[in-house]
Amino acid sequence: MTLLLVLLFVLTAVAGTGVVLSRDPRRQVLAMSANGLILALLFFALQAPDVAYSELVVGTAALPVLYLVVLASIRAGRTRE
Amino acid sequence: MTLLPWAVCVWLFAIGLYGIITSRHYVHLIGCLSVVQSATYVLLLAIGFRWGAGAPIFYDHPPGTPAVDPVVQALVLTDIVIGAAVTALLLALALQLHRRSGTLDPEALRPMQ
Amino acid sequence: MTPRLRLVLLALALACIAPALPAVIGALPVFGSHPLPYGDIINRLAPAERHVTNMVSAVNFDYRGFDTLGEEMMLFVAVTGTAVLLRGTRGEAITALPATVPGRQIPPHSEALVLTARWFAPVTILFGIYVVLHATVTPGGGFQGGVIIASGLLLLYLGEGYAGWRRFMRNGPLDAIEGGGAAAYALAGFGPMLVGAQYLQNVLPLGSMKLLLSGGLMVVVNASVAFAVAGGFGILFVEFLEETRAEDPTQ
Repeated sequence: MTLLLVLLFVLTAVAGTGVVLSRDPRRQVLAMSANGLILALLFFALQAPDVAYSELVVGTAALPVLYLVVLASIRAGRTRE
Repeated sequence: MTLLPWAVCVWLFAIGLYGIITSRHYVHLIGCLSVVQSATYVLLLAIGFRWGAGAPIFYDHPPGTPAVDPVVQALVLTDIVIGAAVTALLLALALQLHRRSGTLDPEALRPMQ
Repeated sequence: MTPRLRLVLLALALACIAPALPAVIGALPVFGSHPLPYGDIINRLAPAERHVTNMVSAVNFDYRGFDTLGEEMMLFVAVTGTAVLLRGTRGEAITALPATVPGRQIPPHSEALVLTARWFAPVTILFGIYVVLHATVTPGGGFQGGVIIASGLLLLYLGEGYAGWRRFMRNGPLDAIEGGGAAAYALAGFGPMLVGAQYLQNVLPLGSMKLLLSGGLMVVVNASVAFAVAGGFGILFVEFLEETRAEDPTQ
């Protein structure tokens, strides 16, 4: 078991815990972005470059932006009703 | 130490489930759902791994060199992209919920009051 | 059901499952021993059979092409559901003003952001097209390239602002690209049936390895997946960003 894989697995567990324990949704979005980056590194280390491509773009860029936009429209919509 | 990947998968699933159960905000709940999904990705890719093998792409080295399993990679690959679209659908549902009831707290939105 | 009761039930369930966990984890194969035979067979046979060098694409688009059609339909349904949910209550018009929250100032216009986005958006979209085209040769494919193109579209939004971006991303062409991609996959399967083969069977000329046009029907299917994924994510971004605009006061 190489040191790199051990470190990446432990970091994955820590990042997942960080996503769950960030109760404020706006802080959780940044934790999710970091989680996506660490998962992409883990998938690279597990010899899966295609999967790392998808996880990098989806987990780091596309999904956190969607979350931020939803939080923004929730916050703006509160003054409409 | 060889049990570390499986322990990490179990831990991610359990902590994601705990987050879903004790969540106080629906958007936070959807984020915890993504943690549960990542547990399955790590499990599938860890099963397909093999020591001393490279990626299943035979562009630089001839077909015959040891490579990891491509079938589980194909499963996880489509799963990530489709999971993102389904998460977007869940977020749209949460948005509609906020429009109708003004709050996103699961405690305040119980069906039978 | 109070939260405390819920946590008590969770603790009970975990107490029932916990004794079985060490047995299950111990019975799993040793990490790195790779017990599955199907992957080895594909690694050995696919380069000669299909003239491709990317095994993951071969599994996705050829050996398990029917499953990918199902995934494609899942993406289509999810995007359609989101569009129906959000457009249904809002209508299809493009509103001009961003929504503002009283007491929170609008951040000033940033020239550095516009410059960076204008440089990197075309590069990202070009890179996404490169990744799509090299599906059968190097790591890449319709799914990865489609999301990279979608993130390039997001960079365009950052650079041009909402009004300029919406002039470029209209509802009609985006819907056509997304639906056309999904339909092209399903209809491409009927092509082989015209010559007497099965649905989605690879009957096109296979080409030679390490060329972009190798793999036969995989090229067509891969392009349709790229269109569907890029168009689908474009629709999602447009719908969600439209939700942050102010309501039209004339309606």
